[in-house]
Amino acid sequence: MEPTDERTNISPPANDLTPITQIWGTIRQREDWTDDERTEVLNELFPDDERIVPYIKRFATLMVLSTTIAAFGLIANSAAVVIGAMLVAPLMTPMLALAASLTYAQMRRFVGSVSLIVIGTVGAIATGWVVARIAGGSLTATSLSSELLTRTTPSLLDLGIAIAAGLAGGYVLTHKGAGSSLPGVAIAVALVPPLATVGVALELQATDQALGALLLYSTNLVAIVLSASVVMVVSGFVPDYIRQAARGKIGLRLLPWGIALIAVALPLAAHTRAILEDDAFARDVTAAIEVWDPQAEIVDMDADRSGDRATVSMTVATSADRQSAWKLAKAITADLRVDLDLDVRYQQESTDAASTS
Amino acid sequence: MQLRRVSALLVAGAVVATACSSTSVDERPVIEVFGTFREADAQNFGATVEPFEEEHGVEVRYVGSGSFEQEIRQRIADADYPDIALFPQPALLTEFAAQGLVRPLSAETAAAQQAAYGDNVVATFDGDLYGVWFKASVKSLVWYRSDTFAARGYKIPGSWSDLVQLTEQIEANGTTPWCLSMESFTQSGWVGTDWIEDIVLRQQGSDFYDDWVDGAVSFEDDAIVAALETFGDVVHTPGRVAGGVNRILNTPWQRAQDPMFDEEPGCLMHRQASFQEVHLPESAVLGENTDVFPLPSIDGSEPPVLVAGNLAAAFDDRPDVALLMEFLGTPEAGRVWASMGGFTSPHPDFQTEWYTSEFDRRIGEVLRKARTVRFDGSDLMTPAVGTGTFWSGMLTFVRTANARATAAEIQAGYPGAEPFEE
Repeated sequence: MEPTDERTNISPPANDLTPITQIWGTIRQREDWTDDERTEVLNELFPDDERIVPYIKRFATLMVLSTTIAAFGLIANSAAVVIGAMLVAPLMTPMLALAASLTYAQMRRFVGSVSLIVIGTVGAIATGWVVARIAGGSLTATSLSSELLTRTTPSLLDLGIAIAAGLAGGYVLTHKGAGSSLPGVAIAVALVPPLATVGVALELQATDQALGALLLYSTNLVAIVLSASVVMVVSGFVPDYIRQAARGKIGLRLLPWGIALIAVALPLAAHTRAILEDDAFARDVTAAIEVWDPQAEIVDMDADRSGDRATVSMTVATSADRQSAWKLAKAITADLRVDLDLDVRYQQESTDAASTS
Repeated sequence: MQLRRVSALLVAGAVVATACSSTSVDERPVIEVFGTFREADAQNFGATVEPFEEEHGVEVRYVGSGSFEQEIRQRIADADYPDIALFPQPALLTEFAAQGLVRPLSAETAAAQQAAYGDNVVATFDGDLYGVWFKASVKSLVWYRSDTFAARGYKIPGSWSDLVQLTEQIEANGTTPWCLSMESFTQSGWVGTDWIEDIVLRQQGSDFYDDWVDGAVSFEDDAIVAALETFGDVVHTPGRVAGGVNRILNTPWQRAQDPMFDEEPGCLMHRQASFQEVHLPESAVLGENTDVFPLPSIDGSEPPVLVAGNLAAAFDDRPDVALLMEFLGTPEAGRVWASMGGFTSPHPDFQTEWYTSEFDRRIGEVLRKARTVRFDGSDLMTPAVGTGTFWSGMLTFVRTANARATAAEIQAGYPGAEPFEE
């Protein structure tokens, strides 16, 4: 008989825990909530007593301040400032309150949180607009900062982030002791920066970019509300007697949000496709450049293809003999069957040195 | 000891190109056309040849370059000929014709061109005709800020002296009269040559102009020096051109008129061709705050019209290439482009109702009704001068204000001339 190693002999349990099922299991883990504790959490999200007045004041103040910080950060192109604004932003709370009101079927809290979200949204866009009016400076619709631009073309990646962040937000809320993670959730799924971007873009009359940022915000809003609601139900934060009394009506109440999720996913999928197409096009162009001039080093390139039209702007560092742009344009058109506008800048690097003693 | 290391990046300049082809993937015979049209113009040319492609089962692949003059020479040096090239300079075309590189027009196409243009046919060599005139632009125009003109009661000048008076009046009212800029990458200076040609044509008449263009009259002739000085009155009088000499030399010509549309207009007039329409800034609205008037004649008579355009010429004698040449020479060839705007046909049989843009229709009328029409002289002169020392000389003149030295520098570009030394 051969000696056996006990460690290698241990067989995995039959119901294998993959990382996803492990996470799902943790989310579903039930806490011992008393009704008083539940009420306390709900009131923190959106009070339905006399605490509502200071709550709204605090919300309005933080909303204006966070949007102002975000708008300045976006205009100044400072990622750090924009992240700071996310930490100050109070919008996550009424969204979680909205999720709770949907699962608890609390009409007053539902109306209250929806009103607050609408007012917060409109107010944030207006604040972004005002900041851009005052401090927009040299920004124009065609020269937005990269911090602004990244918020104008959301993709399915953003939807994935928003769903995961909604789950995280719901988890933090429904599991005691996980509270310190909420700022991270707020950073992952930014609500105020997209709104500030809408305001800034509107002031610059960049309507397409404003719509893109509004789509990002809508994606985050819908995904957070829906996934937080799901967590509240499965984790037992919504007590069994409410779930039983609702008899399937929770699903019905969440249905419009599911439809809304599909509605935002469609343009996101179109954006994603366009981004992937541009990436593929950029790879093809890069390959064509290698044939055109094997010595050429691409310093930067912006390739944009939509249908059978494309524009490429690029800077290349060249060897002594530079190749003609038209040859590259002709090659790309012949290979990729696309009408192309090509703009090539040639760069020569030179070094100069001096010493004194 | 200190050690300093300075790394410098030099951007050599932008080169732009546009390529178009139909998007189907079948293997039809390909006709390659090379020219100067880019971006929207390239698209419009693509649409122009679509009916031809369908009728004859060929694919026309168009490539446009921002450095056409250099690139076409390079292509010829590399024996990499396009099937057809669209030349803005008839002289470049006749130079290649003289070298036997381009094909004379077929007898039918040549007869049709002769019938349409008579004495105005360009690009002939040794009795043969080499180019078909496809697209035209009118150069003798002044773009102006029409709402300010109306508000201040300025009248459209009927003669050169009226124009000078108007210039002085605008200055007296505290506004800079002219916008002008000549930066055009490898082609910088052509804007200045247009000014000189318009002035020579007005001061000396069309016969003298023809002799000058042919090289029979020297740039050092007093009449040409006088034309340079007339231009100098605009360029070198302080406060007469927005941004002064610095802006003239460094601003791309497409952006020349932009100060005109500032809230407080930075200028009120800009002499530039009809094709400037597509380069107007967004704040300019034709008929509302801008319009054109013809650059007046010296004596108040019907002003002569300086024109430019694109001539197609074939490097190959395949039958499909000859068919496309014939098509480009017909008035119908311009219909599609005219329906999209930004196109004026040189063809006398082009129907005015084919224009959808009121502006294009007006320019077409100017061209059709003009009694004296002359092609852009720099495009007709020997390329070493026309697109060489005449272009560069205009930059020299703006910088130095020395008319006589500039004239000598330009004249030195003629083959066999004594090299010019400052």
